[in-house]
Amino acid sequence: MPEAKEKKSVTVPPASPPPAALGKIDEGSQVSRRSFFSWLSIGWIAFVAATGGFFTMMLRFFFPNVLFEPVQTFRAGYPEDYQAGEVDLRWKGKYGTWIVRDGEGIYALSTVCTHLGCTPNWLAAEQKFKCPCHGSGFRKTGINFEGPAPRPLERFRIVLADDGQIIVDKTKKFQQEKGQWGDPEAFLKV
Amino acid sequence: MEAFKHLIDTLSKPTILVSFTFIIFFFVFPPTDWFEKWHKKLKFDGLWSVKSFWIITALLVGFFVTGLSDPDFRSIMLKPDNVPIAGLIFLVFFFTWLSMHQAYNNDKLIDAGKPVDEQYDAPNDKVLVWPDLVYIELITIILFSAFMLVWSIGLPAPLEEPANPSESPNPAKAPWYFLGLQEMLVYFDPWMAGVVLPSLIIVGLMAIPYLDNNKEGSGYYSFKNRKLSIAIFMFGWLVLWNLLIVIGTVLRGPNWNFFGPFEFWDSHKIEALTNINLSEFVYVKWLSTGLPGNILIREIWGMILLLGYFMILPPLLAKTWLKNLFERLGVARYSLFIVLILAALTLPIKMYLRWMFNLKYIISIPEYFFNF
Amino acid sequence: MSEKKGLLKRLAEGQVWTSIFRGGGVPKSRRQRMMVVLNSVFLHLHPVRLPKHAVKLKFTWCMGGLSFFLFLILTISGILLMFYYRPTIEYAYTDIIDLAEQVPFGIMREIHRWGAHAMVITVWLHMFRVFMTGSYKPPREFNWAIGVILLLLTLLLSFTGYLLPWDQLAIWAITVGSNMARATPFIGSEGPGAALLAIGDINFVTMASDIRFALIGGRFLGEATLLRFYVLHCIGLPFIIMIFMAVHFWRIRKDGGISTPV
Repeated sequence: MPEAKEKKSVTVPPASPPPAALGKIDEGSQVSRRSFFSWLSIGWIAFVAATGGFFTMMLRFFFPNVLFEPVQTFRAGYPEDYQAGEVDLRWKGKYGTWIVRDGEGIYALSTVCTHLGCTPNWLAAEQKFKCPCHGSGFRKTGINFEGPAPRPLERFRIVLADDGQIIVDKTKKFQQEKGQWGDPEAFLKV
Repeated sequence: MEAFKHLIDTLSKPTILVSFTFIIFFFVFPPTDWFEKWHKKLKFDGLWSVKSFWIITALLVGFFVTGLSDPDFRSIMLKPDNVPIAGLIFLVFFFTWLSMHQAYNNDKLIDAGKPVDEQYDAPNDKVLVWPDLVYIELITIILFSAFMLVWSIGLPAPLEEPANPSESPNPAKAPWYFLGLQEMLVYFDPWMAGVVLPSLIIVGLMAIPYLDNNKEGSGYYSFKNRKLSIAIFMFGWLVLWNLLIVIGTVLRGPNWNFFGPFEFWDSHKIEALTNINLSEFVYVKWLSTGLPGNILIREIWGMILLLGYFMILPPLLAKTWLKNLFERLGVARYSLFIVLILAALTLPIKMYLRWMFNLKYIISIPEYFFNF
Repeated sequence: MSEKKGLLKRLAEGQVWTSIFRGGGVPKSRRQRMMVVLNSVFLHLHPVRLPKHAVKLKFTWCMGGLSFFLFLILTISGILLMFYYRPTIEYAYTDIIDLAEQVPFGIMREIHRWGAHAMVITVWLHMFRVFMTGSYKPPREFNWAIGVILLLLTLLLSFTGYLLPWDQLAIWAITVGSNMARATPFIGSEGPGAALLAIGDINFVTMASDIRFALIGGRFLGEATLLRFYVLHCIGLPFIIMIFMAVHFWRIRKDGGISTPV
């Protein structure tokens, strides 16, 4: 309290700097404060950018440039190896593909359920693919009709090689809901 | 015996089991005065007495013991990874009872104008950590270590066949504590069931202290003064979480079909699960015009429904049924609260729509991976 | 009396003992007992004195303490398992079998596995108790939020551990789990909105650049997945959960210890 009283009695305007410092800083104080703040903001922006860049680097670290993945293309024998009206399971284990032949031709279905990636089972008696994880069901064509699967099974590119063998290329996919099943490479006419 | 098993199997049909739970739940944990009136009339307040505890425990134990004589039930319950579930059922019941028992005792004390059980006269009623607490900790640690040793020696950790990417086990079940999530995946698209709803669970749990601005009942068990918050929490915790886990463990069998607990897991059981979207209901079934090509026109009905549910229902409720709550919480708290509650309620709503009408998605735009 | 001291007593008053345990002898007086807690870095986790209901099992259920104890059990048994387990597709499964059959006292994996299950249960029940006693109310709101994060981390730890035996249970749980990540809006290749992040025909969020890829280290489950989950399980998540645990325990003390009626 006594200090406060003392302050009241002093008539020096509160904003002015102490007399000792007046001579040195007064002249440049306005300018240097302003430039100081702009330097400060540049500093902060640089800091944030550098931090952001560093975290981007860390994120990018999780995406390697080279992947070591199994071969995505395979030869699946001759069209005569497949019987009309049957779902062929021989490439299911090794390449994750069902090859189906119907009256008109052959197509290659992905064995990955479009819901959450389990492998459905082909139930021949009921003529459907049934996924054991969440109960999605697909018809022989790959069209989803029961359970939670949001879209039909994907089809792979299927073509004939020069020697007459079937080549299935899993890197190229055809999705029914995008109208890609009509593509000539999605279906092998025989 | 067979008749009993058949009865249990019938009662375990999801529609019956879940409807029964929903109806009875709010009379057991009454959120409002009206429910509490019936809660007392139906004598549910006796549920938390010591006598009821022994009766229910005996019933649970009896059910498990007789159930284990059935080979189908045994194969589910004694699967090593499911053993914690059996423990969980008992533990959840025991601790629910224990907390409600103490809460009702304290409610009675408050009604009588006496201090609650946990009331103490600081600082005179304080005890020293050494030795009062450290001895309890030591004994607990020793007993619990012994328990873990016995469990580990007695029950080998499960190890299935080596991984085989081309052959999913049937049924393929997640770890038991995620079976509630797996059950949600049946009714929702993965982006909802796997990402949005779990995030909302986390956000909702974290928001509890900021939404519940009721000062009563801090630091002691009580029910009377915080009926609504306890009822809502219990609904989420007991019904939407633990009940779904039990359903996922016990009632889901091969091809993710529903089976009764005593029913043989027949992998060829056929159930018609042909699901249709709302747009197909509107355009194919009711209007018989066939689906329009334009996505927006096709899905407009679902969008209207969804917008109405999340945009129109909250203010409507604030004006009518939840008027008091709205006044107590204020706009910000109420908005967050009602969005979380409505989001949680989409789960039972979609479950029923699926079971009753085979409705798959309300909005279905697979072209853009957007299904709801 | 002072002429003939027993061996134990002499030990307890000797230089070695008193240099380790300050305070001298068996703590009998109230002051000595308080000093035991104050002088110990481990016991200092606790306050010196507690409300009387804080030591009643009926009130606390001891679930928070058991969760912490289980975390310690899991850390120790987990480190022991790391001496034998190799996170490669070739060895992972057989190493797990060896852990049961070739290693003396082959129940370490059982302790780790059942301990993990038990920890999930104790953490849930701890949360349940804290809710039922209204202990999340001011001033403990923030600590409740920390607790929810700890619950999430516990589940994630358990989930990442599920993959390591590389058996059928493992890969299908991870298949389903990682495909859920693929459905994340905008950053998952099959999530809503991902198709919008494209210029013409070039999609930016594809199978090879989305969140699922970051999680499993490839477009398909494989060697990289096992290694990533192993690192997350053994180093990444335990490191994070320890930080949150430290904050959680610290805040218990700073928010006034165990909750009490006002």
